[in-house]
Amino acid sequence: MTLEWVHPGLLLILGAWVLPWLEGRVKRVAMLALPGAALVVCWLMTPGTYGVVRFLGQELVFGRVDPLSLVFCYVFSLMAFLGMVYALHVEDDSQHVAALTYAGAALGVTLAGDLLTLYVFWELLAISSVLLVLRGGERSAVAAGFRYLLVHVFGGLLLLAGIVLHWSQTGSLAFGDMGAFSGGVAWTLILVAFLLNAAVPPLGAWLPDAYPEATVTGAIFLTAFTTKSAVYVLIRGFAGTELLVWLGAFMAVYGVVYAVLENDARRLLAFHIISQVGYMVCGVGIGTALATNGATAHAFAHILYKGLLFMGAGAVLQMTGARKLSEMGGLYKTMPITLGLYMVGAFAISAVPLFSGFVSKSMVISAAGEGHRAVIFLMLTLASAGTFLHTGLKLPYYMFFGKDSGLRTTEPPRNMLVAMGLAAAACVVIGVFPNVLYRHLPHAVEYVPYTLQHVTSTLGLLSFTVLGFFLLLRQLDPERTISLDTDWFYRRGLAPFVTLAARGLARLESGVVGEIYEFVMRRPVLGAASLLRKFDTLVVDAAAVGVARSTRTLSQRLKTAVSGHAQHYGLLMAAGFLALVALAMLAL
Amino acid sequence: MSFFERQLEDPVRVARIKGRLKRWFYVGLAVVALAEIVLPLVFHGGHPHFSFESFPAWGSLYGLISCIAIIVVSKLIGKAWLMRREDYYDS
Repeated sequence: MTLEWVHPGLLLILGAWVLPWLEGRVKRVAMLALPGAALVVCWLMTPGTYGVVRFLGQELVFGRVDPLSLVFCYVFSLMAFLGMVYALHVEDDSQHVAALTYAGAALGVTLAGDLLTLYVFWELLAISSVLLVLRGGERSAVAAGFRYLLVHVFGGLLLLAGIVLHWSQTGSLAFGDMGAFSGGVAWTLILVAFLLNAAVPPLGAWLPDAYPEATVTGAIFLTAFTTKSAVYVLIRGFAGTELLVWLGAFMAVYGVVYAVLENDARRLLAFHIISQVGYMVCGVGIGTALATNGATAHAFAHILYKGLLFMGAGAVLQMTGARKLSEMGGLYKTMPITLGLYMVGAFAISAVPLFSGFVSKSMVISAAGEGHRAVIFLMLTLASAGTFLHTGLKLPYYMFFGKDSGLRTTEPPRNMLVAMGLAAAACVVIGVFPNVLYRHLPHAVEYVPYTLQHVTSTLGLLSFTVLGFFLLLRQLDPERTISLDTDWFYRRGLAPFVTLAARGLARLESGVVGEIYEFVMRRPVLGAASLLRKFDTLVVDAAAVGVARSTRTLSQRLKTAVSGHAQHYGLLMAAGFLALVALAMLAL
Repeated sequence: MSFFERQLEDPVRVARIKGRLKRWFYVGLAVVALAEIVLPLVFHGGHPHFSFESFPAWGSLYGLISCIAIIVVSKLIGKAWLMRREDYYDS
């Protein structure tokens, strides 16, 4: 790796290990300085190929910098910074190290120029992020965390299998447009692994399962990196794959349907991640310049407003301890600032004019229009209404207004409000000045979001969604239920196998393997340990005690020699001087 | 309790605010739908991709239809199939 190029991801991954050694204010400065430095490094990067390492006769590229990877690097490092501001008050080093490693891994995936480097960072994404779920604390969080890990390990194995197969068939590890290998086994394996991380149904049930169980601050990082790095690799490798158009449009509607049924606030928002990623996947599938620009822009805008929405729901969770809509209500009286900032995120995700979603989501929908795909256009527009219905109306209504739950609390800690404020500002800036975002997109942008027809029809769509919401308000009252999803297959469907495993495998493990282990490993190790302990007490300790005793005796003796009388010292000096003179004369 | 909070805890006042908001909401809806019909005729702004987009107040109409369809269909699917007790996976 060349010295003139610093990998922003490795900067975060290695730098994170400084945090446990720091305390107090210095630690908080370092928590912000690390992602801040990564952001600056990304900002200073210029297109080119950096960090090329030869390994096993292959060229590994750690730094493929081009417009597409740059724009993802910007938003990943920006979100890492905002997330750390939000988490500044948390006294848990393990979460901070995990979060920064996770952000670094996402940057690593984005900058990877070959499949092997990609794979390494891909696995790191899963391993570092699972800690943010496990630290959620509740029993359900631990269970969900392990399910999350198993699903991602499975996805990682598919990816590895695809990479090995692709390598053996083509002899190259380079990662670029995979269109030439379309339909092959290797192509399919890699695509499925990417779709799993993008939470495309039926492979996406891990997301609403795990994210709402994560810690309040950990969830902010989770919403940003896994699905959007998957969108990035899909744009890079699979733009123009027709299947993705339909999967994406289906996803957009699927998330909306589940959001109607959901009671847990953060799980509702998690279903809307799936819905929003649907627009991006659809854009990737359409594959035109406008569509891939739209997918990229929407990923950028989405990371910021979805982070903001999770920050708002997380603030309510932290201050009240309530996670279900049926337990909330009336919070606008005591959390008005949180409500206001949350609503900025809600307007952004709902594509209200002057907010970021309006200038990004509409690129994908317009691309569907330009391709004359009427069904896709209608599905995506319907999902837009659904997005506003839940994130902009249902959730704030039942959380902040609705029936007063009697909960009285205060605004969250200041750092959380600052993080929300910064994210909200970003949503508005992108919405008002779309060129801030557009000039960083991979293709030149001719698209104009603010046309009369677009603004009026969007306002019509949104305001009549409000009418529908109030007409059917009673239907939307949160119910104390959960919804079945494809995670049923590994949560309930596999139960017979678990019984089988408990009867057969577990007995074999404890009965046979355990006995052998006891005999071969545990006894020798314990025996060696007790021998070492004896040696320690008899020899090492005795030696130390002996040295200490003799030192003490010596110092006792010396003490009596020191009388404190000047004439004694003078006498001693004279005697010594005489002795020296005698010695010198004898020697001569 | 601050002055602001006392105002919000007063049920009579809240009801009055709600009533006023409702009236302005309906006025707003009418304005938006009208704007969507009239403005494109006046300014000829933008170009729709599909013929159905030229239907008068298309956005407003589709918004209402979408919203109602999402709620009704989702609830039907949920009641018939997807929704389970909260402790479904624990038992």
